[in-house]
Amino acid sequence: MFNKILIANRGEIAVRIIRACRELGIRTVAVYSTADKEALHTLLADESVCIGPAKSSESYLDITRIISAAIITGSNAIHPGFGFLSENSKFVKICEESNIKVIGPNSEMISLMGQKAQARATMIEAGVPVIPGSDGVIKLAQEAIERSKDIGFPLIMKAANGGGGKGMRVANSVEEVTSMFNLAQKEAKACFGDDDMYMERYIVNPKHIEFQILGDEHGNVIHLGERDCSVQRRHQKMVEEAPSTALTPELREQMGAVAVKAARAIGYTNAGTVEFLLTDKNEFFFMEMNTRIQVEHPITEMITGIDIIKKQVEIAAGLELGLTQEDIKLNGHSIECRINAEDATKDFRPSPGKITNLFLPGGNGIRVDGAIYSGYTVAPYYDSMLAKLIVHGKTREEALAKMRSALGEFIIEGITTNIDFHYDILDQPSFIQGNYDTSFIEKMLGEAK
Amino acid sequence: MKISFKKPKYIQMSSAAKIINKTEPNVPTGSWIKCTYCGQVIYKEDFNNNLFICHNCEKHYRMSAPDRLKLVVDKDSFDNMFTNLKTVNILDFKGYDAKIKGLQEKTALDEGVLTGTATINGIKVAIAVMDSRFLMGSMGHVVGEKITLITELATDESLPLVIFTASGGARMQEGIISLMQMAKTSAALKRHHDAGGLYVTVLTDPTSGGVTASFAMLGDIILSEPGAFIGFAGPRVIRDTIKQELPEGFQKAEFLLEHGFIDSIVPRVEMKHTLHKIFGLHHFI
Repeated sequence: MFNKILIANRGEIAVRIIRACRELGIRTVAVYSTADKEALHTLLADESVCIGPAKSSESYLDITRIISAAIITGSNAIHPGFGFLSENSKFVKICEESNIKVIGPNSEMISLMGQKAQARATMIEAGVPVIPGSDGVIKLAQEAIERSKDIGFPLIMKAANGGGGKGMRVANSVEEVTSMFNLAQKEAKACFGDDDMYMERYIVNPKHIEFQILGDEHGNVIHLGERDCSVQRRHQKMVEEAPSTALTPELREQMGAVAVKAARAIGYTNAGTVEFLLTDKNEFFFMEMNTRIQVEHPITEMITGIDIIKKQVEIAAGLELGLTQEDIKLNGHSIECRINAEDATKDFRPSPGKITNLFLPGGNGIRVDGAIYSGYTVAPYYDSMLAKLIVHGKTREEALAKMRSALGEFIIEGITTNIDFHYDILDQPSFIQGNYDTSFIEKMLGEAK
Repeated sequence: MKISFKKPKYIQMSSAAKIINKTEPNVPTGSWIKCTYCGQVIYKEDFNNNLFICHNCEKHYRMSAPDRLKLVVDKDSFDNMFTNLKTVNILDFKGYDAKIKGLQEKTALDEGVLTGTATINGIKVAIAVMDSRFLMGSMGHVVGEKITLITELATDESLPLVIFTASGGARMQEGIISLMQMAKTSAALKRHHDAGGLYVTVLTDPTSGGVTASFAMLGDIILSEPGAFIGFAGPRVIRDTIKQELPEGFQKAEFLLEHGFIDSIVPRVEMKHTLHKIFGLHHFI
């Protein structure tokens, strides 16, 4: 087991990791920018090293400074958390060269899954279902018609070297392909100087279902069930729940097996998440794999009883997983609300400032993972997440009731938060029924207008 | 408001956990370097991928001739010529033979300059690239002869000539034979000029002594890399001779540009494109 771990992150995930280390009897080192001198992770760790000014590129993203901090404190390992350097394969490679163990997968796995085109090709080879598409470039409308038979409708035709929503058109049937293809290609040529096109099935309002993977360094890989993260605003998750209302036990077994297959295909070790898109016809497609711990990991912890962060540390220390797929039982239902310092009435504008009064909810099945305390000043330099409010109930109804109650107890004064917006989410009939997809927030905000 | 948390007692949780990993972090020697100019610590691999330039202060570090060629000419287009010349210890200078042999092994070069033809974005050129690793790129009879031969080839085949200079000057171990190379190379360039040939010099760090006083400063167009040291005598010699402090930035490329000695300073990343543009403007295709 490690003697000392440096946490290369900040905010609530840094606090989460420090707590896990404290419980494991491992010494902790926090790194902080000048803006985080009074941050909770800095105060909680055994040692702390100031690594630069507020700007992330000169502190939390600066590889030289992080490695220097590890050396001067004699840390044997680094936990990168999520964001920042957690999926930077060069950072992990440098740690590997410098005899510092990174709590996560190795640099090759990160690199493989980080290049989306290569990840897709690897998954296709492994027999993992990916969004049907034309692998390769299409130049003529006739080719597009031929390929469309394999891809299915609706489909989207995109500029191979484009982006930003330009040079793309959707075709709903084979009759529309030629006209839409020519329009898209013309736009692509005008905007990007390139008329190479490719095609993909267009998935309308899918559900975002992800599976938590745990693999040790001895070849054991299992999944810990799914999380439904369809409540998103501009691709930012707001509310997550586990298990998903959309999955039958059969579908769960099917998708879980595919997630494990995907992880095994690259010899994955440590914690990771395989993300799928699920259509209303229960077709699922591999979207991407996140080679790190995720924000919403607590809901999986609540329903499985497994401490994922501790497992990460143990796996990195070379211990065997000690769990088989049969050991994983999903008990009850868990929901997480991300409490952010933002003003939902003003287009979710960040609202930094000093927290003048704080009361945290408590009780049976209520968990708060946060980095805030009374008198703490939320800095404007980093993301606006203050805390995660997690509940666990025997059933989904009980979990919803607990969340409503806990949100009501959560008092943060001095800054604006999205707590009231979460109330609104929980009031929506589609959410209560568990019948929602990734268009949920958009529809909710559209109606409000 | 400062909170004081109580530290937990560090106890072992299980027998498996008894094995304490106390391996100290250990950065392998040479994997990180420090910029001598701004003090920035740089990962060596990043430095190499960034064309040997400090990403913090943009200081252009010295490059080997093979690396320079890779950067400037089209892939696999360099035809290495005049490789049959052998360095001879003409004056029987003590230790010179051993020194040459050692450097040939260390650098995998025969001498201090690579000469031949290549293409730059498709345009055929005659090119010479000096290498400061080989006895400070000093010019002896082999370097002088190779420069002369490539110049004559450029004249004969009507190719534009480009020479990347990097030198401490004339090679001391060959005495007056080295000095003679100054005249020889300059004469070949004069014939090239009379035939209407184009000659572009690119001065790199450092360019000094007999090389500066001969072919380096004879280009129709003289380019330089940023921050390059360009001079004849060294600053200490000058200071001691004139008994005056030297002006700020003296003998740096930027100083020379300001005082009309060179035509343009070109960042390394733009060098290939700039050369291509110059050749294009002179109707080479």
